Amino acid sequence: MLDSLSHLMVAFNQVATPENLLLIFVAGLIGTLVGALPGLGPSAGIALMMPLTFGMSPISGLSLLTGVYMGTMYGGRLTAILINTPGDAPAIVTAMEGYPMMQRGKGGQALGISAIASFVGGIFGLLMLIFFAPIIAEYAIFLGPPEYFMLMLLGLSMIIVLAGSDPLKALIATLVGVLLSTIGSDYVSGNVRFAVVPELIEGVDFVAVIIGLFGIGEVLVNVEERIRLNMGKPKFKFSEFIPGLAELRHISLPTLRGSVIGTGIGVLPGAGATIATFIAYITEKKLSKQPENFGKGASEGLASPEAANNAAVPGSLIPLLTLGIPGSGGTAIMLGALIMFGLNPGPMLMIQSADIVWGTIAGLTIANLFLLGSNILLIPVFVNALRLIQNHLNAIVVAFCLVGAFSINYGTFDVWVTVVFGVIGYLMKRANYPTGPFILALVLAPLAENYLRQSIMLGQGSWGIFVQKPLTMTFTILVLGVVLFGLAKAPIASYVNKRRNQAA
Amino acid sequence: MFFKPLKTAVVFSALVAAAVLPVQAEDFPTRGLEFVAGYGPGGGHDTMLRSMAKVIRETNLIDASVNVVNKPGGAGATSLGYLNSHEGDGHYLMAATSSFITTPLTADVGLNYKDFTPIARLGIDPTLLVVPASSDIKTLDDIKNAGRVLNVAGGGRGQIEHIATIMVSDALDVKLNFVPFQGDGEVASALLGRQVDFAMINPGAVSEFIKSGRMRAIAISTEQRAEMFPDVPTFKEKGYDVVASVFRGVVAAKDIPAEAKAYLSEMVERLQETPEWTEQYLKPNGIIPGYLDADAFAAYLEKTNSVYETNLSNLGLLKKN
Repeated sequence: MLDSLSHLMVAFNQVATPENLLLIFVAGLIGTLVGALPGLGPSAGIALMMPLTFGMSPISGLSLLTGVYMGTMYGGRLTAILINTPGDAPAIVTAMEGYPMMQRGKGGQALGISAIASFVGGIFGLLMLIFFAPIIAEYAIFLGPPEYFMLMLLGLSMIIVLAGSDPLKALIATLVGVLLSTIGSDYVSGNVRFAVVPELIEGVDFVAVIIGLFGIGEVLVNVEERIRLNMGKPKFKFSEFIPGLAELRHISLPTLRGSVIGTGIGVLPGAGATIATFIAYITEKKLSKQPENFGKGASEGLASPEAANNAAVPGSLIPLLTLGIPGSGGTAIMLGALIMFGLNPGPMLMIQSADIVWGTIAGLTIANLFLLGSNILLIPVFVNALRLIQNHLNAIVVAFCLVGAFSINYGTFDVWVTVVFGVIGYLMKRANYPTGPFILALVLAPLAENYLRQSIMLGQGSWGIFVQKPLTMTFTILVLGVVLFGLAKAPIASYVNKRRNQAA
Repeated sequence: MFFKPLKTAVVFSALVAAAVLPVQAEDFPTRGLEFVAGYGPGGGHDTMLRSMAKVIRETNLIDASVNVVNKPGGAGATSLGYLNSHEGDGHYLMAATSSFITTPLTADVGLNYKDFTPIARLGIDPTLLVVPASSDIKTLDDIKNAGRVLNVAGGGRGQIEHIATIMVSDALDVKLNFVPFQGDGEVASALLGRQVDFAMINPGAVSEFIKSGRMRAIAISTEQRAEMFPDVPTFKEKGYDVVASVFRGVVAAKDIPAEAKAYLSEMVERLQETPEWTEQYLKPNGIIPGYLDADAFAAYLEKTNSVYETNLSNLGLLKKN
């Protein structure tokens, strides 16, 4: 641990040249912009910047890429809060609480809270990366498909939380999501399912679906109801977007919990930031004393997932830097960048190329500081930019969404997907079908399906795999316990209430 | 009248030029070349093409500029369609790996390998049989005599790792339980976490683990031992006929002019001879050199297609017509 610290101090000295600081600052801003654009997420941001890094020293180049990666996590929340269009998948949950706050005229506040939560999450993840990376990675690889399946089950149980007032409608939305997720090639069976056109061989891109469902769907509702967002006064004070002490105290525990969840899940290869945000949200709603506020702009439901998705960035770097195993789409591209810089990603990376790895970590720490500063100071700019375009907001959001959809694969197919799901999103809102369960099923069902089948295959046909090893059994009991308790809580509570009423 | 002398002069000078400079005179390329990657940035296709572009630039191999574009989607299908829309135009060069063969076989794309002009095979990815360092398995015979059904991790069902596993199972006459994982990273962590008994995996993904002593390679699926792993025996030398690998090559559009094909072939041939190519691409990515020229690559593609067709058909994975 002391060893880590001395490495880091040397690295800070190396990284903190004026050119590098400027580079990291610009990388963060570019990442913020890329993340804010619907359709362009961390993978696209890193990939777009990669050619720029070829002439640089490895430390500068990798700092640039990780700065962009972190920046996209800050950026994703902007459009989610301001126009209900998550810029990338980890920002879906942000839209669920952030946009209602915006509608109530507390958009600046929502941006402030989420920026601070993002910062705390990022720093927490970095501390874990700095002090415990090798230890965490050695334990994380012992989790296999059975444990992952249980984790997915926990994520899917969040559907109950998101269901809203009508469980039947939530169930229908969930099942349609599951159905949609089965399209495309399935690596476990090797079959290509329901790919009626070649574009569907890799399945329906769920980023195109969320852009349509949230962004365009919202616009259609707004046009019909002639909604104008409540922007507050044009000139507002710092106190309106920097959360006060009471608010900070309110979100402090949720932010810490989100940070822990984000780092933990970010480490696991194949899980990543999106699932971390879902699980952080479900945890907060379960722990909240006023769960009825969720979905209407509960600040703890905003802070915790935001902390989680930023903590997942250093989290996913842990297996990459210690083992050469990428834990997310973004780090998969970083793996390519490491090779391009002549490094050998693998178990020896942190020993052979210690200066570069620690330099990159120092760069990421600096990026996180810069991003907090720029994201807080720019809040008035973002909100006032939205005010300026408010008369044409709907047209601009539609343009953003369609360009974003195009940029997923640089083709028109995803534009059509977005348009179709825009109409579906509108119809769902009109008919009061919740969109949360739908999107959750679309994201998690294929993962759950694959992990379940892998588990059973590993058990050579036996379900005993879920209780065989002590570690797996602990996971199984914990998750099933949480899910069953969640299911049983409402009926038991109503039964107890009834008894009490009868007695009284 | 006015133009006639001019025209004659043009024709004449062209003839002279043709006599002096046989290739350039045909005016190919007339603009920059476009390298087409069928997967997104950072993927295998993209890495290969960007390394090619970089080496071409650094060694001044050709005068024309090179631009790498990504046409991801449909497991390579989008790029097949894109290249096909430039039929007869030699300015496009596309990366081709196993998906070039398997995607048209398993899904209805409307195109197949015959709709393109093979240019060259640049290297191969064989399959390595690896175990965790702490495993009891030391040789192929230990697998044969394991006394229980072993779990094997590898890429998706029907992919090369699966086909190689079936070959091992047949050659050793043991039952193996293949568990598909998504991508080399997940296979490597499944092996390190001892979720499975051994893994069939592409050498580039595990070479660092082998070097650092965390995994042990038992055998490799090439004809001869690979330079990268001089101590790892082939299946063949142990008496088991398991030879399987996927390829990394480049193809151009259908019906391109002969001079364009000659230009591209020569460019790629000279490229793969440069030391930069070995240092910057083959070695860091763990790829076994395996250059084949246009004709040999065409024959190889035909053979590979029939191998996959048989195996995928046995697994019931061919597209239904």
